[in-house]
Amino acid sequence: MMRITGGRVYDPANGIDGAVKELRIDDHGRFVDAIEGGRTIDATGMIVFPGGVDVHTHVAGGAINFARAMTPEDHRRTQAFIRTKNRRSGLGGMAPTTFATGYLYAGMGWTTVNEAAVPVLSARHTHEELGDIPIVDKSTLALMANNEILLDQLEAGEYERARSVVAWYIWAAKAYGVKAVNPGGVAAWKWGHDAKQLTSPISGYDTLTPGRIITQLARICDDLGLPHPMHLHCNNLGAPGNIATTLDTLRHLEGSRAHIAHSQYHAYGGDGWDSIRSASRQLADYFNAHPGLTTDAGAVLFGDTVTITADGPWQHLLYKLTGRKWGNLDVENETGCGIVPYTYRPSNLVNAVQWATGLELLLLIRDPFQAFLSTDHPNGGCFWRYPEIIKLLMCADFRNECMAKLPEAIRRRIVLPEIDREYTLYEIAASMSAGPARALGLSKKGNLGIGCDADLVIYDADDDAARMFSRPRYVIKGGEIVIEDGEIRETPQGREFLVRPPCDPDIDAFMRPLFEDRYTMSFENYPVEIERIEHADVRPCAPAP
Amino acid sequence: MGGKVTCTLGEVKQKADFIVYWGGNPAECHPRHFTKYTIMRKSKFLPNGRKDRTMVLVDIRETKSAKAADVFLQVRPGKDFELLTILRALIKDQPVDNDRIPETGLTRDVLDDLIRRMKAAKFGCMFFGMGLSMTCGKHMNSAALLTLVAELNAFTKFVAMPMRGHGNVTGADVIMRWQTGYPFGITFNRGYPRYNPGEFSTVDVLVRGDCDAAFIIGADPGGTMPQPAIDHLKRIPTIVLDPHITFTSRLARVHITTAPQGIAAPGTAYRMDELPLPLKPALKSPYPTDEDVVRRINAALDAKPFWLPEDGRPRMLTAQV
Repeated sequence: MMRITGGRVYDPANGIDGAVKELRIDDHGRFVDAIEGGRTIDATGMIVFPGGVDVHTHVAGGAINFARAMTPEDHRRTQAFIRTKNRRSGLGGMAPTTFATGYLYAGMGWTTVNEAAVPVLSARHTHEELGDIPIVDKSTLALMANNEILLDQLEAGEYERARSVVAWYIWAAKAYGVKAVNPGGVAAWKWGHDAKQLTSPISGYDTLTPGRIITQLARICDDLGLPHPMHLHCNNLGAPGNIATTLDTLRHLEGSRAHIAHSQYHAYGGDGWDSIRSASRQLADYFNAHPGLTTDAGAVLFGDTVTITADGPWQHLLYKLTGRKWGNLDVENETGCGIVPYTYRPSNLVNAVQWATGLELLLLIRDPFQAFLSTDHPNGGCFWRYPEIIKLLMCADFRNECMAKLPEAIRRRIVLPEIDREYTLYEIAASMSAGPARALGLSKKGNLGIGCDADLVIYDADDDAARMFSRPRYVIKGGEIVIEDGEIRETPQGREFLVRPPCDPDIDAFMRPLFEDRYTMSFENYPVEIERIEHADVRPCAPAP
Repeated sequence: MGGKVTCTLGEVKQKADFIVYWGGNPAECHPRHFTKYTIMRKSKFLPNGRKDRTMVLVDIRETKSAKAADVFLQVRPGKDFELLTILRALIKDQPVDNDRIPETGLTRDVLDDLIRRMKAAKFGCMFFGMGLSMTCGKHMNSAALLTLVAELNAFTKFVAMPMRGHGNVTGADVIMRWQTGYPFGITFNRGYPRYNPGEFSTVDVLVRGDCDAAFIIGADPGGTMPQPAIDHLKRIPTIVLDPHITFTSRLARVHITTAPQGIAAPGTAYRMDELPLPLKPALKSPYPTDEDVVRRINAALDAKPFWLPEDGRPRMLTAQV
């Protein structure tokens, strides 16, 4: 039991904006009305936030583990965690090791993370890694938009069957939702091609187009009643002029729920690398006119990182552009994955446009319950650099200072200099916690209300937002103090959220022969056993009647 | 150049119409490879199976696998790197001095034909074995092949995969990577993981005599390591967990018999393409599993005073020393 007194509370889920309020936590790690006894934390003069929720990150599984293998030179120079009695050793950096990932997220006040890309075939691996990420709660999204068994059903117009196939895969992966990456494009990449036009049939199919995959998969997610809508990485990522594809994609989604991942990478104008410019205003206008739609920024920070995505064809292009290391892993029947180390440089005009575009989207989309803090870790920058982004959002002077260091030519290509909005603490809390929790359908996260999980973070008020957000005074996870004054106190094991959507009972008989034809493991061995998930928490679905 | 352009074996089974085995003898060493994953398989995209697929074997001698191949290229021993480098030049139409080709043991015509076939493939896959990775040039050979495959993607779809052997080596790699960032050759002697193959690899640590105890699971270094390493294992307290009596268990101070993985003990094994496969035991064993034993050792260690010096508060290094 614990009470937190005197702090200024920012709880956007309940409309509380800096009021001084006492919070009480019971022995089950939940907020309650009243308790007797227990520890009291005097938070007078401090700032109280719900624990951060990362809606889109890559922290576990075959892809990030491939990236770890490819970047020993970064591990050697980065922050190291030394073994202690209650803490495992590990390394931070561009692709942190599992234990370090938990410590770094919690150390910054984040208590829930969503691993946004899991091939079902290697989901067992992903869950084993997640079991080694301490403190934070976790969820995963299964990659579906290039699954050939599913695409065959969509091409044949078998909607009901397709819906059951998706439900079967989600439960097989023990996932929480559906991720769509470059719909059709990764399947085409298996032949060395891509899918850039939403209306052209994809390689290997006669009539099926990316547009149709997008529309149907979004509808399937809604009909299955998944707590989180389809999580979409649009076609044509990273390419100059791709705003046209993105807006076209959004029009395909009308009538459905959707979350658009890392929208920064999908908001460029121009018609080549020489003429690339930000198209954030067009994209932000669309979001402002469609309040049900959510996105995360996928903001870019200057410096070294490693890019990892299921978008294989894009990574091949990036390898050709940079001449750096290239990892590629195509996953049978399901998806692909590419890895290329990358350095974002302020002197590079394209990188500077990317940096500005991410911030512009966060600033131009008015409702922080729609646009969330993310760097698409590790693609745009590492998650442990989020406090830098918060400072850029909260302080226009600091933004101008950073912009002054960019090449003069950048000014004609971006709109950031015209924006004077500064995020308030309330808006930051919405963008880093309450908003993503709501989009994920995690009703007990990002919320300091009665009955919710007691995940919260307490900061010493500080004029320098980057300093304040990188070193919380306390982080409390499930009612337990895990970080105190920048040091790790406890390392409890978090929960893993998943769903079991309804599906046709005959789906096993339908899947088995297809599976045996396409895959190279036995059908019985494919689904991840529920016993293998540490602290599984199966969330309800609300399927359409 | 670094990295690896690869796929899972199901992609090869479904799509690869052009398959190269380089420095390996699958007919004798991976006897199920042809029938489960490569040349003998029929699929949606390659309905005629063997007829729709081309196989090339590159090796220093004509092994049994050569009989299965459409094209056999007998490379001169120790010239794999040169051959791969010439191929890298040829695919990009860079000039190659004809005088440099005979030293590889092959002719210009043969290489031109190979380039033509590789570029005409819809989906090519190169499997490489220890005949490439463990002979003169070693990791440089693997890097040259991986680079060739990466560069071929400018023309058509191409992937590469090492032909790995020995149980669950891949699984050990994968887990070490997620827990420490590195696959092997790791030391924790400063309290956090550091990596340097050649310095911290098991064989080097043993040969130098740097360790004062050894704990061995699922391996038999006593059968494969050089004598100085074995001598050191005999000198120090060596503890072995193994279902069988092995060279190593014979020289060990302690041998704990454990249940065999996959037969009487559950778990996960990672296949050569890094897919995790669940192990479901068919039999019961009177012996504990490796996992049981390690957990009990850990519990016993936890009951002892903590072994690292504690100066009050946990430390976090911002820069490595």
